[in-house]
Amino acid sequence: MRHGIHTLLTACVLFISTGALAQEITFDAKVDRNDFAVGENIRLTLSLTNGQGDITTPDLGGLVVVQGPFESSSFNYINGRMSSSVSRSFTLTATRPGDFTIGPAKARVGGGTISTDPITVHVEKGSAAPSDRSLQNVQSSNPDLFVSVTLSRQHVHVGEQIIATYTLYSRYPNLEVSNYDLPELNGFWAEEIDIGQTSWEDQLRAVNGLNYRVAVLKKQLLFPQHPGELTIGAVKLTCTVNRSFFNRGSRVEARSQPVTVDVTALPSDKPADFCGAVGQLVMDISVDRKEVKANEAIELTIRVNGRSNLKLIDAPKLTFPPDVESYDPKVEDHINVTGGGMSGSRAFKYLIIPRHEGDITLGPYSISYYDTEKDRYQVLNSEPIAIHVGPGSGNASARSSRPSKETVEMLDHDIRYLRTGDPGLREKDRFLYGSWAYISGMAAPVVALLLFMGWRRQREARAQDVTGQRRRRADRVARKRLKEAEQALTSNDREQFYAAMTKALQGYLADRFGLGVAEITPEVIATRLADRADDGELARSISDLIATCEMARYAPIEGRPRKELYAEAVRSIRQIENA
Amino acid sequence: MKGIFASLLLSTVILPFGAHAMERTEADSLIARAQRAYSAGDQRTALALYDSANTRYTSAALLYNIGNCHFKLNDIPHAILFYERALLREPGADDIRSNLELARQQTLDRVNELPGLQLGSTWERWRGGHDVDQWARRSLWTWATALFLFALSMAVTGLFLKRSLQVLTGIAVVVAIGAVVLAGTRTHEVRHPDGAIVMAPRVDVTSEPRVGSTALFLLHAGTKVTVRKEEAGWAEVALANGNVGWMPVRAIERI
Repeated sequence: MRHGIHTLLTACVLFISTGALAQEITFDAKVDRNDFAVGENIRLTLSLTNGQGDITTPDLGGLVVVQGPFESSSFNYINGRMSSSVSRSFTLTATRPGDFTIGPAKARVGGGTISTDPITVHVEKGSAAPSDRSLQNVQSSNPDLFVSVTLSRQHVHVGEQIIATYTLYSRYPNLEVSNYDLPELNGFWAEEIDIGQTSWEDQLRAVNGLNYRVAVLKKQLLFPQHPGELTIGAVKLTCTVNRSFFNRGSRVEARSQPVTVDVTALPSDKPADFCGAVGQLVMDISVDRKEVKANEAIELTIRVNGRSNLKLIDAPKLTFPPDVESYDPKVEDHINVTGGGMSGSRAFKYLIIPRHEGDITLGPYSISYYDTEKDRYQVLNSEPIAIHVGPGSGNASARSSRPSKETVEMLDHDIRYLRTGDPGLREKDRFLYGSWAYISGMAAPVVALLLFMGWRRQREARAQDVTGQRRRRADRVARKRLKEAEQALTSNDREQFYAAMTKALQGYLADRFGLGVAEITPEVIATRLADRADDGELARSISDLIATCEMARYAPIEGRPRKELYAEAVRSIRQIENA
Repeated sequence: MKGIFASLLLSTVILPFGAHAMERTEADSLIARAQRAYSAGDQRTALALYDSANTRYTSAALLYNIGNCHFKLNDIPHAILFYERALLREPGADDIRSNLELARQQTLDRVNELPGLQLGSTWERWRGGHDVDQWARRSLWTWATALFLFALSMAVTGLFLKRSLQVLTGIAVVVAIGAVVLAGTRTHEVRHPDGAIVMAPRVDVTSEPRVGSTALFLLHAGTKVTVRKEEAGWAEVALANGNVGWMPVRAIERI
């Protein structure tokens, strides 16, 4: 249809033209090639021949003008025929692959308008190494003016430093930044890096074939404070471009794209003395003097040096001997924040005052940090420092003579250790109580006691029957004594004979009647033998016999022959015995 | 005669232990190996060795060591169970009490025990003795002593001596009766323990022994309960603070 109108118009122009100018008017658009890659340039030429008029730049459909427009015109007289041509050309490029359509260009010639056919080009992915992907994205949103946020690292640990650079890319020859909004940094601790005055860099920088003027707006050190995906929001820049003496210029907004940082947590095996540092560190411990008097101050300095989040390092919690007074540390920083990151040293100065004389040892102390190169925790250890504390001046030493008591502090709780040694094993379900051994063990003393009591009772019964015993034994004892008398009789031992006789008779009677020997008197004998039928004959004869023997024993009188006496004694005892 | 009795008693007491002497040394060597593993930090091996020693023979020390292994392996309910078992055999032991206390601190439930149970340490130590048979042995000795004193009091003639011996006999008899009672209760305690430890991570204690009855309270692993009776897979338990309810038997393990 459009083609139709075009031909019609051409026909009209042809018809109107006079002889000399009876030239054909053409207007066409050409590209030097239809296939190219990102970053490469193509040339678009719009040429109008044999006509004069305004050419409007077509819609480029996403392609970016690198250079241009360049205008050229020519007049030719050849054989009296004049021909003219006007051309306008652009150098174009594409910032992303795909199909792009260059819309129809229009030219007003005379009273009418003629236009060209649209051109479709195909853009391949660039074979050359593409620029930063994020840069490419932000470029495609506005190829003339954009801000990029570049991070030194995108995968970091909590506390590890990142350098964020905010760079302005501009293709406008003239630009003034009127206002900018920096993104909110949620989850970061930020430190500005001093970069001096913002200025355009000398060199142009090419991004996907487009040349830009570049200025670093700002550099920041970022320290992620917690793990996860942390996002740095978009930077918004309001600029005025193309301002000149005659022109108030126009306002253009430049934006960056949000950038995410993948922050991983530090490993969970965090040492107790972890100070919060992530990076590379060395430690140095020193004291200002090693010999002091009691109650004089010592300054203990712990200095950490290196490249790390130094400003976020906590003072290590040091333990001092109990009789040493200590104060919270003073922090002294020599920290440089440069484009290379945060480095320098941080010193913790502890003021400590030993209160008593004696030798004290400070440390060994240790702090640990997370080493980002080795990807693990590193412990920095110090040597113990020996301090000699001399006696203080007067007043103080009097106080030091009585040390204050300290309570023992429990550091931690843990179960007590195993029981070692003989475990004292015993069979399960075997108990002494209720077993046969136990019952017999309980019964045995009872049995023993009963046996003991029985034995005792028997012995007592016998002991009570002492007279019966004597009586039973009386005859035997008498016979034994009479035998002695008989011996004395044969050996003609007078004294022995009478002694044995007296003893035999008296002993027999005493045994027989259960009496003492001294109790044997004629009356007693008479009473004891009164129940005999011989009318006291036997009693009298025994009494006489005893009296005779006694008499003969102590006096030299012998009334009767000894043999007769002996015979009578034997007869008397037999008579009593037989009764 | 006393000599005969003594040798009789010794033979009945000692012979049964002598018969299993071989197995005992085996158990002892297992325990020695377990101890080496434990001190090398390998509590899992130590636990396995201790467990295999704790089959036919047992002792407070062995149970305590098993409890320690469980504690180090972070199995607090079992640690409590074995500490309680050890404590049952040796109620006065400081180390068992201290570790049990630490283990209890890590359980969720806080049951207010009646005060008597806490201040009873000295009494428990005295009552519990070194091993289960201690009071049985003491009762044998005091009983024999009482009867000996009685016999002696009959034998002596001095009136004052006789009186004193009779008084001593009376005291000895009272002590002997006390010892017999203690020996009986201790043996019963160890033979039929009524305590149990909750093993399930959480368990509802209900008012009736059936699923779906009113939940009275909630217990967590490691809490000690007293089992009052068991019925068809349900146990009636009482807490130290006096609360009573029912829970499934499989949620608890007897001490």
